Amino acid sequence: MGVCLAPCDNFKRTNTDEDCHSSMLNEWLLSLARFLDAQNWSTQIHESIYLYAWIETTHVLTLMVFLGMLFVIDLRMLGLAFPNVRASVIAERLDRPMMIGLALMVITGVLLYYAIPVRTTQSLWFRIKIMLFVFAAINAFAFRARMQASVGSWDTDPKPPRHIRMGAAASILLWAGVVVTGRTIAYDWFDCHKELPYAMYWAAGCVDEMAALASE
Amino acid sequence: MDLYPLFDWLDTSLLADIAKAYGGVFAVVQMFHLLGMSILGGMVLVGDLRLLNVVMKDTPSEVVIESTHKWFGIGLATMVVSGIFMSSAVSLKLYYSEMFWAKMTALAVGVVFFYFVRRPLLSGSHSAIKPSVLKLMAVTSIAIWFTVAASGRWIGFS
Repeated sequence: MGVCLAPCDNFKRTNTDEDCHSSMLNEWLLSLARFLDAQNWSTQIHESIYLYAWIETTHVLTLMVFLGMLFVIDLRMLGLAFPNVRASVIAERLDRPMMIGLALMVITGVLLYYAIPVRTTQSLWFRIKIMLFVFAAINAFAFRARMQASVGSWDTDPKPPRHIRMGAAASILLWAGVVVTGRTIAYDWFDCHKELPYAMYWAAGCVDEMAALASE
Repeated sequence: MDLYPLFDWLDTSLLADIAKAYGGVFAVVQMFHLLGMSILGGMVLVGDLRLLNVVMKDTPSEVVIESTHKWFGIGLATMVVSGIFMSSAVSLKLYYSEMFWAKMTALAVGVVFFYFVRRPLLSGSHSAIKPSVLKLMAVTSIAIWFTVAASGRWIGFS
């Protein structure tokens, strides 16, 4: 592995190319978060008595709409619900309300991030949540493609084929992961101000704490 | 009837000890609470949006409604069981929380409405019921369950 040069001088303990790039990414993310944090709107949402609560309530309600529709589709694909309704009908007809729920959930989620950008950027749980969200989205696209390619042969079967059931189970598990990591963002177990191992600081993007440890 | 002794007992129960001592367990149970709420919400929404002629218009509403009942019950049971565990961590605080009682009232109204109004009324042919009554029932049902979810979130803010 090569040696990292100037941009990563703060990270002498980890000066491989790979660590250097992740440190640069963490520094860039933190800079962006601090820029957002300095904006008046961010402070106003965070310090508002009701606005933040309403945004979070809307986030939970739209999560219910999105996940609710998703569960109906996935439970049908698992062969556990709506056995006498064609699988393609369930998937096609519920797609729009599910996507409306998803869009509103993402918008309110971005606003929640905007209200508390620095702590959220340095939250290990938020980072895991975003990764699971990306995996869930990839799974959804792959699942949809697989389903559309084969649905003609099993559309009316109460129990779809194994590969479809596996995709639906993966979808439920990934979204359950998104929900639990979303909830754990509120906990301060791995916040940067805590005394943590270097690897945890790295995973959470605690740039200043990593630099302090490196300089010891 | 004063329910304080029940909340006081819950506060000192084994459930409360676990909920207070293990934040990770609490978070996972909270996940099941949200998943239960989503399953229940999904079943309510699919059924009610079908009654409102918004989704699955090409599937008889009787079939859609009948298919939602089992998973509505599973979602409700998941919500109630996980909710009791979550309540045990802060039971005395909840006893004095107006928002908690608002949620419990909305939940009781929702359960009564579902099992004693909506379900019996929709058990026969829907064509025998006035469309306006079906739509009113659907709107009422959505409003009740959204109130349950929203007031639940506001317990944390109150």
